[in-house]
Amino acid sequence: MPLNTVPLNTGPLNAGPVKAGGGWLPWLAMGLLTAAAWGVAPFSVLGALSLTLLVLTALKLREAQQRREFRLVSLLQLVTAGLFGAQQAELGSTLLQGLAVLVALAGLLKLELGGGTNLGTLLRRSGQLVLAALPMALVLFLLFPRLGPFSNLGGLGQFGAAATTGLSTTLEPGTIANLTMDRSPAARVAFPGGGPPPASQRLWRVLVHEHFDGQSWRSLNAGTAGSDATGTDTDGAAGADPNLASSQTPGATQVWLSEPNGLAEVPWSGEGLPLDRHLRRDGQGQLRYSGSVGVRKLYSLAAESSPAAWRRQAATAQDLQMAAGTNPRLETLAAGWRRQGSGGAKAVALAEEWFRQQGFRYSLTNPLLPQTAPLDALLFEQRQGFCGHYASALSALMRAAGVPARVVSGYRGGTWVEPLGGSAFLDLRQSDAHAWSEVWIDGEGWRTVDPTAWVLGGPTTVGNPAADSVHSPLGTAADPSGPLDWLARQWWGLDLAWGEWWLGFDQRSQEMLLQRLLGPYREWAGALLLVAVALTLALGLAVYGWLRRRGEGDHLQQELNQLLRSCARSGLVPQPGETLGQFGRRLRLARPLLGPELEDFVDLLQQQRYGRPGPPQRQGMDRLRRCGQSLRRQLRRSPS
Amino acid sequence: MGSGTPPSHPQAQPLSRWLPLQQGEVLKLGLRNLYIVPTGFGWLWLGGALFLQLVGIQTQSNGPVLLSFVMLALELLSLHLTHGQLEGLEVRCGQPEPAFAGETAAYPLIVRVQSACEGLEWCLTPGPLHGVASLGPGEHPLALEWTPQRRGLQRPGPLRLQTTAPLGLFVCWSRWQVPAEQLIYPAPKPGPVRQVPMADWREKTAAAGALAGEGSEEWQDLRPHRRGDSSSRMAWKLLAQGRGAQTKRFQDPRLEPSLLAPDPALPHEEALEHLSDRLCLLHRQGQSYGLALTGLQIAPDRGSSHRDRCLEALALCR
Repeated sequence: MPLNTVPLNTGPLNAGPVKAGGGWLPWLAMGLLTAAAWGVAPFSVLGALSLTLLVLTALKLREAQQRREFRLVSLLQLVTAGLFGAQQAELGSTLLQGLAVLVALAGLLKLELGGGTNLGTLLRRSGQLVLAALPMALVLFLLFPRLGPFSNLGGLGQFGAAATTGLSTTLEPGTIANLTMDRSPAARVAFPGGGPPPASQRLWRVLVHEHFDGQSWRSLNAGTAGSDATGTDTDGAAGADPNLASSQTPGATQVWLSEPNGLAEVPWSGEGLPLDRHLRRDGQGQLRYSGSVGVRKLYSLAAESSPAAWRRQAATAQDLQMAAGTNPRLETLAAGWRRQGSGGAKAVALAEEWFRQQGFRYSLTNPLLPQTAPLDALLFEQRQGFCGHYASALSALMRAAGVPARVVSGYRGGTWVEPLGGSAFLDLRQSDAHAWSEVWIDGEGWRTVDPTAWVLGGPTTVGNPAADSVHSPLGTAADPSGPLDWLARQWWGLDLAWGEWWLGFDQRSQEMLLQRLLGPYREWAGALLLVAVALTLALGLAVYGWLRRRGEGDHLQQELNQLLRSCARSGLVPQPGETLGQFGRRLRLARPLLGPELEDFVDLLQQQRYGRPGPPQRQGMDRLRRCGQSLRRQLRRSPS
Repeated sequence: MGSGTPPSHPQAQPLSRWLPLQQGEVLKLGLRNLYIVPTGFGWLWLGGALFLQLVGIQTQSNGPVLLSFVMLALELLSLHLTHGQLEGLEVRCGQPEPAFAGETAAYPLIVRVQSACEGLEWCLTPGPLHGVASLGPGEHPLALEWTPQRRGLQRPGPLRLQTTAPLGLFVCWSRWQVPAEQLIYPAPKPGPVRQVPMADWREKTAAAGALAGEGSEEWQDLRPHRRGDSSSRMAWKLLAQGRGAQTKRFQDPRLEPSLLAPDPALPHEEALEHLSDRLCLLHRQGQSYGLALTGLQIAPDRGSSHRDRCLEALALCR
């Protein structure tokens, strides 16, 4: 009896009431979602919502008895995966979320198809369904009009805030030293059309700390998670120009992918024209992102012919503010410099000379500075510290000397990575966190001064091997790395490419796409969408039908037909009435070399067709396939 | 879903009442007789997609936006896929076997599937849903379970065929009044029956009983084997024991046959139920019995076919 006519239901009287139950597939989906929950900030609105939903889904699954309850569990799993997707858009997380969606759909299929379907079939069917739905989903994704966020629902950052690892608006001694132990990613930057800047210029500013209370430096204008751009902004993005898009804009010289950190300020070089409407440069040289800050941020900057305006933004009284008397020895030293010369340049020169004479050492393991006169203790007693210490001390010295100064925190250096696929990029880790000073120089503006370069053993000190490795033209050459590091960097490269593609498509990109597609006929966008949906629906149904037919035909007959076609090309055609066994014997005589494998093929096929069903059947099918492939190969090699 | 629970997808139930019931010897499902509506889960699914869309808009993230569109696309695809499961399905009745009232009866159907049909569920309304995982191409026998309440030639209630495969977002169904009638015997209930006087019949059978011809049901005696005796009557066991060739002699037991009739003191239906029980009892005991109904007499006899004939007479008795 042909396989395709064997009734699947051979015991009609035993067919009982519809059974419910998703087996262990829903639990597998729960496991994947739990893994995907890693890194979600539990105290943000969205994080709390998604984690609560995850727990409730697990509880519902535990008590589920009926089919409708299992269905609800699958739907909750999909929604949870979507909520995680709103918070974590990394390539790895996205893959995990996608896998959870596939398994949740497979669980739904199991409810409808019954318990006899195995996991592989369910996952394949689930994949087929998603594949059939994707064309329409992509059309809707690309063409369905995008809306702006509902800002009245509260701060966007709070709504979607995720991990908060990274820089802080308050710079305290030891803060950055702790960060240097953290190898988690901070940002990645690609330079389309060019390589990275020279090592000496790889200072990526994030926060400006202008308020000094004698112990720590605070950033007064920093926008934390949830705050929009403040009144200190000086200019908007070139993205206001509809001809400029985000990351895909020709002319972008820096494409940044910044990890979530709870700050509105994002790293940049201090130079460049923002190409995203979410970006604003403020008067202190901070680049502020007004979109959701708790998620990954993709933004681009274009080259700018004139120097950045913030460098010439005049210093204010705040930049001279000093908690007088908190560090008396420092103030006394600075008072001497004040008497010796005028202007910031002279003060900086005197400070550099003094720092180099004192033999300061760079150290990540400093004892805590005292509460009273901490900078006095650093400069005149301990004489060792980290970049944050020296930047604090220099800025305080400058202010005490009557020169406006401030501390800037951000990142330094980075690792240049050239992945096998995708564009090269500079990888910044939290361990690259750095702090430096900016001093107001009359007639010049704000000058970047890094006092860490003046101390012994500092990573930026000239002659330091560590500094050399960072400063090498292409960091990978001198960067010690093993195979695992190499693999990790390849992954980062893919992740960056994914981020550019995935995060880069937004409302503006959609507008550009519609502009390209429809030109002056923009009013036809709705009709285009409807037609595209109808076409992709038909396409999806056709694809699904084809996949089903392909996956569930008579595999034995397909294998045999393939072999018979190969034989026919060699002039060997079955005669009328000839059975498979007879044809096999005739073939063996004509092609003795095919003998043993041909015999195997015929035996296996007949065993599969007429043998007892059961688990060995599947292995036999695999062997039959291999056998058939080998025979076809041999027939191709010797066609006659 | 356990037995006794109403069929699922209650939102499809009120609609069913207003939609025409399919008639005919064969039901071929197609656009004209298949109905489809979203299930409650389907509406919830749309709500989930909308929620993800709102989250995507609020956070300006592409993940939830794409997932919501995938869910929407799956909903639209499901509309066609669920309908396609039943489209082309052909159903006809088999030959129903007689059954007793008040007991579960099997009503046979033959389902012809063209390509494949998944998640097929059926029920005789009202009744619980039954289902199979998947039906491949070809013909498949299905047995509907139902409990007839009355004797006679009965048809079960309308058949409802439905599926929610593949994702449970839509329910597609059709209702058909199955055409073939099933013979239902009265429910067997122990109770009094009337013994009918059989004077005439007794006289006729007395002569026949004196002859007491050789029967064929059980052997009574042995005699030496003669040439011409059937080998099937040979006592092979005795021969094997070395006790010589013996031939078995058969004779029907001389039992008093009875002619049963409904007890006139009882309501007619109840009396028939008692008769049904008594017939079955006598059949089990291997006794001979006859039946006397208004306008119909069945002479005493034994065997399954006799019992079925008597029960049929009871089932169709007016």
